[in-house]
Amino acid sequence: MRTPPRIPGRRLFRFPWRTAAQVATDVDEELQFHLDKVAQELAEEGWLPEAARAEALRRFGDLEGTRKYCRELDRSKETRMKWTHTLEALGQDIRFAVRQLWKSPGFTLVVVLTLALAMGATTSIFSVVHGILLRPLPFNEPDRLVRVFPQSNGEEGTFSYPNFRDWRAQSRTVTQAASAHAGSINLTGEGGEPERLIGMWVNAEFFSILGVRPLAGRWFAAGEDRPGGPAVVVISEELWERRYGRDPGLVGRAISLGGRPYTVIGVVDREEKFPEYAEVWIPLGFTNENLEERASVYLAALARLAPGATLEEARSEAKVIADRLARQYPGANKGLGIGLEPLQDSLVGEVRTELLVLLGAVLFVLLIACVNVANLLLVRSTAREGEVAVRSALGAGPGRIVRQLLTESLILALAGGAAGIGLAVWATKALVAVAPSQIPRIEEVGVDAPVLLFALAITLATGLLSGLAPAVQAARPNLVGALKEGARGSRSRAATRARNVLVVGEIALAVMLLAGAGLLLRSFARLQNVDLGFQTENVLKFHITLPETRYDEDAKLRAFVDGLTERLEALPEVETAGAAYYSLPLVGGVNVWSFTIDGRPPVPEGQEDVMRAGVATPGFLRALGISIARGRAFDERDREGSTQVAVLNEAAASRFFPGEDPLGKRLVLGTNDDGSPNQFEIVGIFRDIKQNTLQEEIEPQMLLPYAQAPLASLAVVVRTRSDPAAMTAAAAAQVREIDPDLPIYAVRTMEEVVAMSAAQPKFSMLLLGGFAAIALVLAAVGIYGVIAYAVRQRAQEIGIRMALGATRTRVLRMVVRQGLTLAVLGALLGLVGALFATRGMRSLLYEVSAADPAIYVLVALVLVLVAAVASYLPARRASRTEPQLALRGEA
Amino acid sequence: MPKTSLELLHGTVAVLILKTLTWGPMHGYDISRSIRQRSDGALGLEDAALYQALHRLERKDWIEAEWGLSENNRRAKFYRLTVEGKRQLQAELSSWQAYVEAVSKVLEVETA
Repeated sequence: MRTPPRIPGRRLFRFPWRTAAQVATDVDEELQFHLDKVAQELAEEGWLPEAARAEALRRFGDLEGTRKYCRELDRSKETRMKWTHTLEALGQDIRFAVRQLWKSPGFTLVVVLTLALAMGATTSIFSVVHGILLRPLPFNEPDRLVRVFPQSNGEEGTFSYPNFRDWRAQSRTVTQAASAHAGSINLTGEGGEPERLIGMWVNAEFFSILGVRPLAGRWFAAGEDRPGGPAVVVISEELWERRYGRDPGLVGRAISLGGRPYTVIGVVDREEKFPEYAEVWIPLGFTNENLEERASVYLAALARLAPGATLEEARSEAKVIADRLARQYPGANKGLGIGLEPLQDSLVGEVRTELLVLLGAVLFVLLIACVNVANLLLVRSTAREGEVAVRSALGAGPGRIVRQLLTESLILALAGGAAGIGLAVWATKALVAVAPSQIPRIEEVGVDAPVLLFALAITLATGLLSGLAPAVQAARPNLVGALKEGARGSRSRAATRARNVLVVGEIALAVMLLAGAGLLLRSFARLQNVDLGFQTENVLKFHITLPETRYDEDAKLRAFVDGLTERLEALPEVETAGAAYYSLPLVGGVNVWSFTIDGRPPVPEGQEDVMRAGVATPGFLRALGISIARGRAFDERDREGSTQVAVLNEAAASRFFPGEDPLGKRLVLGTNDDGSPNQFEIVGIFRDIKQNTLQEEIEPQMLLPYAQAPLASLAVVVRTRSDPAAMTAAAAAQVREIDPDLPIYAVRTMEEVVAMSAAQPKFSMLLLGGFAAIALVLAAVGIYGVIAYAVRQRAQEIGIRMALGATRTRVLRMVVRQGLTLAVLGALLGLVGALFATRGMRSLLYEVSAADPAIYVLVALVLVLVAAVASYLPARRASRTEPQLALRGEA
Repeated sequence: MPKTSLELLHGTVAVLILKTLTWGPMHGYDISRSIRQRSDGALGLEDAALYQALHRLERKDWIEAEWGLSENNRRAKFYRLTVEGKRQLQAELSSWQAYVEAVSKVLEVETA
């Protein structure tokens, strides 16, 4: 009576997904069919057609409601089916890919390891970059915080209080501003040994500007920073923990700082402290005399931009204010400018280049790894041409094939990424542990959520990047050819070209990395061999600051230094000991004095020459082995009351006494109390010693005898007969015996001091060197892979050549030449690339040009050599081909 | 047709449809007629409810639909039971059986 429904087999193949409109039409058609059938039935019973249709409608019930209800249901079913289908297909792809990869464990392992290494390195470098450069500061709206600084002639400086106050009063683009200066102070009494703390002297707005809450207690109240305000202090969480065991009762109690009681009013959370090296914060409490001293500059400033104000607006406003202040106070403010920069930029300033170079380098490594994997996949996909052709012939579309191959490379990337993250967690910890402590915010570095997100992103990018070329290559099937030839490549020429291009690119990248690493290595070697001008072996240094409350006369300072030197030199292990002020090399701090030279025409006030100045005892010069080029060093005869003397470094002698003999000339340093010029006779020239850093050029420097210019802040050096570090306790004991309330701090051997100033370049060099090594290995593997594959492909041809009389050497040469051609091409490209890329790292290089020809030639040679070895191995195999086997296609 | 049919208990429509489809694939009109005929017209299933139930069952994957040709060569939507639907029918049938027996026992005792 009715034809059996034909059930088309559409589900077995492609399901034509229905649109919402199609779903609606289907429902309408179904219902209409029903209504027509009922009407027809009624008509057969004798109803008139009109009436039958009406009756059918009536009997149906709620037609519109049903229509809507069914459409809704069908649409949701359609959507669900689409999803299930997609997931099923994906599941199929994944299962298939895993099976395929499982079948070639060697290939899979090499690829996953390569990717894990590269992604681990990239992720861990990114975690450092993120933690230091990108992660917002832990303050309220940190992007609104700016550092404000005066500048003149492009040099950044610090504010005097009046200038800060006037800028603050006139600025409309900032809501709050803080001023502060850093210093250090002795902590004594309760809780342990005396210690030296780094402190910040701040105005009352300092903490509220940051928008953080105290861990305990409160911040400074308005007015607490006025001259003669209360002695209150905010301390760091670390100090609270270390010395007072987090005693909650400490807030409200007094601690002894610099010999005075200060009441603790608050504790700063260790995550939120600023700056990160400070341990105590003390109200500025301006003294009346330097309050109005416009030339006395010592304040750093911090401000919060007003809502709606941009940095640009604040900058142009600052320029207007600075010009006004310069006109108003031409004496102190000549050429005054005021600059602003985001606080975050100012914190990371110096390491930015280094980190970006490292990130760039590690991305190169990742790129090389991608190229390598792409190459391996390409080789593999060529080998699988037969399989792909069969699948295409069975109806798999090119989209499906691409998807299948991309699934494979994504799975490889995900496996590599997962292993890489594991590696990165470990590597990041190791990096933080070995990183030089001078790098700001380094302890905040870790593998956190944004870093993981980055790792995921590079994993996906890697999967796509390395899988795309092989996939596209495979999706252009030449069915007939491939099926006919079996597994032997039909598109091998195109595939070979693709592989060659990849290898050349890989070599170029490796050359660029090697060049960068080579430059840093050479620069570091230069630094290591730099002439320090002093001896570092067996020298210990530490610092002492004599509190001015108790050491209020020059005589007391001299007595302390003489007593300490005598006691230290009495120790059997000590050869000689001495003390100095701003003379110790490589520990930072600059002290510059202006001077005139007696007998020369007078210079207008404010235009005197300046040079670095330090004060030292004779023992200090002996302990550091500073050698005298001419004249004499000062000695024990240069006392208070005897002729005042000075020694200059060679730079000062040649700068200020060109063509003259400085010995016997007199430097004038201001005036004595009675108005007479304060003169120092130059008695010797000492050989230049390094000043603040290893890299910088030596500036003119004078040294005065401590006895004739005593100061309270001391660096003490001790030359020992044995291990200097072992002397620490004995030295501290000697200091305590003279004054039990004096902490010694920053205790280090001079060898450590030198190592620390080279720590950052060393860190970059080691990392970049490591990356370059990885890159070199990857490039070698890449060349090897391509040549080995080419040899296998050309086995027949080689067999024929040998059958026709080609010697082994000839075959060997032919194959190696192929590898070398790629290497030379890649090396040339890489050298050109390096010329551009290494420009970014100029500031990291010491006495090495970014285009250093020796390094470039060396790098190119290394690469070509590696390429030669990498192609020699497959070439040797090729030269041992048995022509018989090769001709039969069995080699 | 006079309205003498019994009101259907909620959920019974589904069992009726599933049971009907055990005879083979059918379109909605046939299902409706089949139910009416088998119950000798006692069970009047409103068409609106039938179609809503059909689409509901299709959504649940208890039945599936294909477009085919009806006896007079019109495009019609044919439903058939899925494996899942057959299983469901078995479950519904046995619980229906238990229900009927229990209710009958009670009613028999009362009328006795």
